[in-house]
Amino acid sequence: MSAAETRDLELRDVRRSFGATQALRGVSLAVRQGEVYGLVGPDGAGKTTAMRILSGLLRPHEGSATVLGVDPAHPRGEARERLGLVPQRNTLYGDLSVDENLHFFASLFGLSRPDFEARRERLLHITRLGRFTERRADALSGGMYKKLALACALLHRPRVLLLDEPTNGVDPVSRRELWELLYGLVHEGMTLLVSTPYMDEAARCHRVGLLYEGQLIAEGEPRALARAHGVSPSDFESVFLAIIARRDGRAA
Amino acid sequence: MHPLLVQYRAVVVKEVRQTVRDRRVMALLTLAPLMQLFVLGFAVNFDVRRVPTAVVDRSRSVESREHARTLLAGDTLRLIAEPHDERSAATLLEDGETSVALVFPPSFEKDLLRGDGAWVQALVDGSDPVRSSVAVDAVARHAAARASTLGMEQARRLGREPPRSTVTLESRVLYNPALETAVYVVPGIAAMLLLIVTTLIMSMGLARERETGTLEQLQVTPLRSSVLMLGKVTPFLLVGLLDVGLALCVGAWVFGVPLRGSLLLVALATLLYLMSTLGTGLLIATASRTQQQAFVGGFLFMLPAVLLSGVMTSLRAIPDWLVWLTWLNPVRHYVEVLRGVLLKGAGLSDLWPQFLLLSGFGVLMLGIATRRFHKTAA
Ligand SMILES: Nc1ncnc2c1ncn2[C@@H]1O[C@H](COP(=O)(O)OP(=O)(O)OP(=O)(O)O)[C@@H](O)[C@H]1O
Ligand SMILES: [Mg+2]
Repeated sequence: MSAAETRDLELRDVRRSFGATQALRGVSLAVRQGEVYGLVGPDGAGKTTAMRILSGLLRPHEGSATVLGVDPAHPRGEARERLGLVPQRNTLYGDLSVDENLHFFASLFGLSRPDFEARRERLLHITRLGRFTERRADALSGGMYKKLALACALLHRPRVLLLDEPTNGVDPVSRRELWELLYGLVHEGMTLLVSTPYMDEAARCHRVGLLYEGQLIAEGEPRALARAHGVSPSDFESVFLAIIARRDGRAA
Repeated sequence: MHPLLVQYRAVVVKEVRQTVRDRRVMALLTLAPLMQLFVLGFAVNFDVRRVPTAVVDRSRSVESREHARTLLAGDTLRLIAEPHDERSAATLLEDGETSVALVFPPSFEKDLLRGDGAWVQALVDGSDPVRSSVAVDAVARHAAARASTLGMEQARRLGREPPRSTVTLESRVLYNPALETAVYVVPGIAAMLLLIVTTLIMSMGLARERETGTLEQLQVTPLRSSVLMLGKVTPFLLVGLLDVGLALCVGAWVFGVPLRGSLLLVALATLLYLMSTLGTGLLIATASRTQQQAFVGGFLFMLPAVLLSGVMTSLRAIPDWLVWLTWLNPVRHYVEVLRGVLLKGAGLSDLWPQFLLLSGFGVLMLGIATRRFHKTAA
């Protein structure tokens, strides 16, 4: 297998601005097949912008993005059939029930009836939403909502999954559950790109990229990064602070 | 089933569920139009009857009393006061108590009998042009009628031949013989309500999807924007047809609006018209980020569309260059079809230009909206 083939997600020198705001200032990253890649950065670093470009919702102003070797914004939408997105915002239909949301998105992905039934069964099981199928989505708790969003994104068995701050507003117990669930998916061969502002979550990833003011300022395995900056891996939070401090010091 | 059909059905079902669950939207779709049809049908009354009138009779003679009596005998003018001088009549006008004051001068009878030509003064409140012109008209008609009878009497008295050739105007009103405004106005109101309801529902519905982020979720699925648009439009086409049906029933039972032509033709025109209004709603939504913007945009479109449609005002009353503009207004063509089919029993052979234009606008609007929507995605 060649190196290019194993790169499920790739950004090449991507720039994107909104008016005067430069959200991404030349970001390159690659996520290998079966990898959990953590995109870590403070508010406004450009994490969501990177996710939106990879899911084809935005086009880069410069540079390029590929998902499984194709342009995610291609009008044919080949990438869409193999990519799942759990956005940062709550973007399901709040006035539809859990079941209705699942059925709606399954129809858009063209799942057959028996296929849908099987998928529904399995996803309700792993997300433990089985008891809440009749509940309106906007009546779910934060954690349950994220799980429903995850279930909707997994219906069509995507090869790659993008999760934008999936544990935002989720209690610690549900957060752990959610991560266990994600690791289960990786065992099945899925590729994950997860953005998070939490360092402890970053430490759970195979590799992390530190995004700061639209630039990727460090990348590597969490342990290696910690070692390189002389902090203990359990105190991953300091890694980020150390890198930013050094960078800002150099700039000054 | 074909995957596109599965997607289409899913969007329709979703749209229906969301609509049915939103009580405010349901009210907007069903109750509001009916209530407005009632209220507007009664309120928008162009018939001018029983204009409040003051008579100042300073002649106090047999002739002046006879004139006043015949003037007030019709349905147009209604006596409500008999002040003794012009000044108090002017006060009544100013206070809005009366719209017209008729003043018979002291010398009225004398002048008339002497054959010098007598005059009656009509003071009119010009702030309501329709009423005042109708009132002036009534007085003028009366004066003309009196003049011709007086002329004949005079001629006879002087032993001459009465003038032979007189022109009399005999007018006959076609299609709406009782000259009832409601019959004419109700189809217009139905078109207007349909415009308001469907444009707003559609523009705000799509703007809501953008505002709440569901649109993004849709954009990462293989759903095509054309299928999404068609799916969103379909339920409201049906609702619009239902609304027109209701409007026709209320129109018939309450206001006596006839149905002389084909119901099928009305339905077809409605479908084409709704394609325009719904397409415009979608187009407005593609240019709006929030529901509020969509709402404002909707009104900015609807105001001129109603004003330049001939629903409320006659198209003959507006300048020529504006009349050209009304050709681009689907409301105008739909109202013409409704009035034609309902009141005159017109068929496709009379109304094909309107049908052609309505189809053109419908396809154009939906097409542009879908294209624009596609472009605004990334
Ligand atoms: N649609 C937009 N219009 C204008 N500015 C935008 C838009 N989207 C993002 N930005 C700006 O781009 C920058 C990066 O935003 P982005 O949402 O990618 O950051 P983020 O890392 O996801 O932040 P957060 O943790 O708050 O979600 C911010 O300054 C943001 O204000
Ligand atoms: Mg974000």
